[in-house]
Amino acid sequence: MNKASAMVFLREGLCPGLTDEVVQALRAKNIRTVVDLVSSDIEDLAQKCSVSYKTLLAVRRVLLAQNSAFPVTGADLYEELLSSTAILSTGNASLDKLLDSGLYTGELSELVGAPGTGKTQICLGVAVNISCEVKQSVLYIDSTGGLSANRLLQMIKAKISNAEEQMEALGRIQVCPVFDVFSLFECLHHFRSTGLQQSLAGGSSVKAVIVDSVSAVLANMLGGKQTEGMSLMMQVAGELRTLAKDLNVAVLVTNHVTRDGNGMIKAGLGQSWSHIPRTRVLLQRIEQPRSTCSSLRTATLIKSSRWPCYSMEEIDLRYWGQCEEKLHGLQGKRKQVSNSPS
Amino acid sequence: MTHPSRSSESGAQLLARLEGKRRLKGLDFHLFPDDCSPAQGDVVEFHGMEGTGKTETLYHLVTSCILPGEFGGLEVEVMYVDTDYHFDILRLVSILEHRLPQGSEEMLRACLCRISVVHCSSSLQLLLTLHHVEGTLPGRPSLSLLVIDSISAFYWVDKYNGGDSMARQEANLRRIAELLEKIVKEHHIAVFATTHAIMRSNSAEEVAEVGGTSWKRRTVAPSDFTKVYLCRPWQRIVTHRVLFSKANMTKDRKQVFTAVSSSGRTNSTKRSSFCMTNAGIQFL
Repeated sequence: MNKASAMVFLREGLCPGLTDEVVQALRAKNIRTVVDLVSSDIEDLAQKCSVSYKTLLAVRRVLLAQNSAFPVTGADLYEELLSSTAILSTGNASLDKLLDSGLYTGELSELVGAPGTGKTQICLGVAVNISCEVKQSVLYIDSTGGLSANRLLQMIKAKISNAEEQMEALGRIQVCPVFDVFSLFECLHHFRSTGLQQSLAGGSSVKAVIVDSVSAVLANMLGGKQTEGMSLMMQVAGELRTLAKDLNVAVLVTNHVTRDGNGMIKAGLGQSWSHIPRTRVLLQRIEQPRSTCSSLRTATLIKSSRWPCYSMEEIDLRYWGQCEEKLHGLQGKRKQVSNSPS
Repeated sequence: MTHPSRSSESGAQLLARLEGKRRLKGLDFHLFPDDCSPAQGDVVEFHGMEGTGKTETLYHLVTSCILPGEFGGLEVEVMYVDTDYHFDILRLVSILEHRLPQGSEEMLRACLCRISVVHCSSSLQLLLTLHHVEGTLPGRPSLSLLVIDSISAFYWVDKYNGGDSMARQEANLRRIAELLEKIVKEHHIAVFATTHAIMRSNSAEEVAEVGGTSWKRRTVAPSDFTKVYLCRPWQRIVTHRVLFSKANMTKDRKQVFTAVSSSGRTNSTKRSSFCMTNAGIQFL
């Protein structure tokens, strides 16, 4: 799936100096891929293939530069982060507090909870808030069929009165229904290619990707001894994480919960997935014996690098949109500068 | 590019390659047994489940490496390979800020210049990147530590891509391990790598992917997930292992973590407990 994981075969013109002659000579010695060439002793190889040592060394150097990832210093990374990271308010003050102001671009966050704990409602609320308040686009990947256009419009109407602006806000939410892991990949790949073009062209680009839910397309492939499901799950994880970083978008996914041997609630999809999200919030109903329909939930932070874990907030699902805060950057947050960067 | 100069290395080059390396001595007395604290040429594996403090411990150790000597650091360079895509520079900065005097922006910048970060999204890219890094090592005498967080990130994808052949499933990681062995030997640097605990040790034959993130303190023995599953060439080069787990909460509802370190060389082990604070991990 991933370009970087594909084996790169040596062929003419792959890099300067790699002529057909050289490729054939290498192939005769069973050197077929970039990895083969890079891992072999160049001095030895030059003698065996009767290709000039200098040429092979140059080819190796160029191939390495082309195919390896590029290190940046911590100082540059920090500068870049301060200038490009945005924090997207979720539209709910309690949830924002738990997430340390909202969803961070470049990161993957996860909402977990039993059915009916408000995962989809929160996803919709976040999408509407980013579209209406922050005025940025959202890609909403719906794998459960839980998204209703009427509900979206209803939530937008609660925020915006002007009909034209309502339509604009609705237009900023791109919905992509998927039914299995393959259509999810297709959607993500399409987004990556168009997203890169858009950001190059300088147009308004998507700031958040919501996947409701990842477990709906992944859980059915797991179990037993087969590794295909695990492999696909980790590829989805890799795709979402690189997408978050490369396109600088906030990624929000939802996941189901199960119970471990002791009856404790834990996130679904197993151990390997548990390492994937940077932040994880557990949603639970508040047991209220007298009221029949409660919109109150508790949100517990169960994974975070910002707040101590098990911080808890109460969330009212009806109350979505009294938050004044809009898109603000890290610079403003950390250095107390009030005006926000782009 | 790798070592054409090995046969014809001048004394000055040899000195630059070996003696220029600052020692990693005294990196951390809490975590490792006194008699075998990791040094250049060692490969340390940090093993644990999600949320057991592996990455946080790495930040702690990295901070000690990149801080200047006057603030208790070793003032050496670090290469941080992030395959999990969760290296948090803000977290590192906040830990550094707690150990530097207030308002020392310049010094903070100098510290941050001593760490380079590289992201890899496949085992193949990791292998090629390490080859590339190896080529730049002779020019960076003060680089003393290579961190890989995590080395097990591509386990499932590689396992499936390799099909039925075990050799092909492990091909990339085997090459990575062999290259790391060469790098630590020739360039005298240390490698710290994390591995995710994802396999239960009691049901060895079953691919038991049933655990999860218990959001409350788990009462099952965490040693359940200590099964070693990465390929042999990797196991062979590991000189120290540190097992991370969550322990009980303290009275004031603080999560305590434990780390048990052992070395293949001596039989000594050391158990340490720590908790997380804004200033990084704090040993108890």
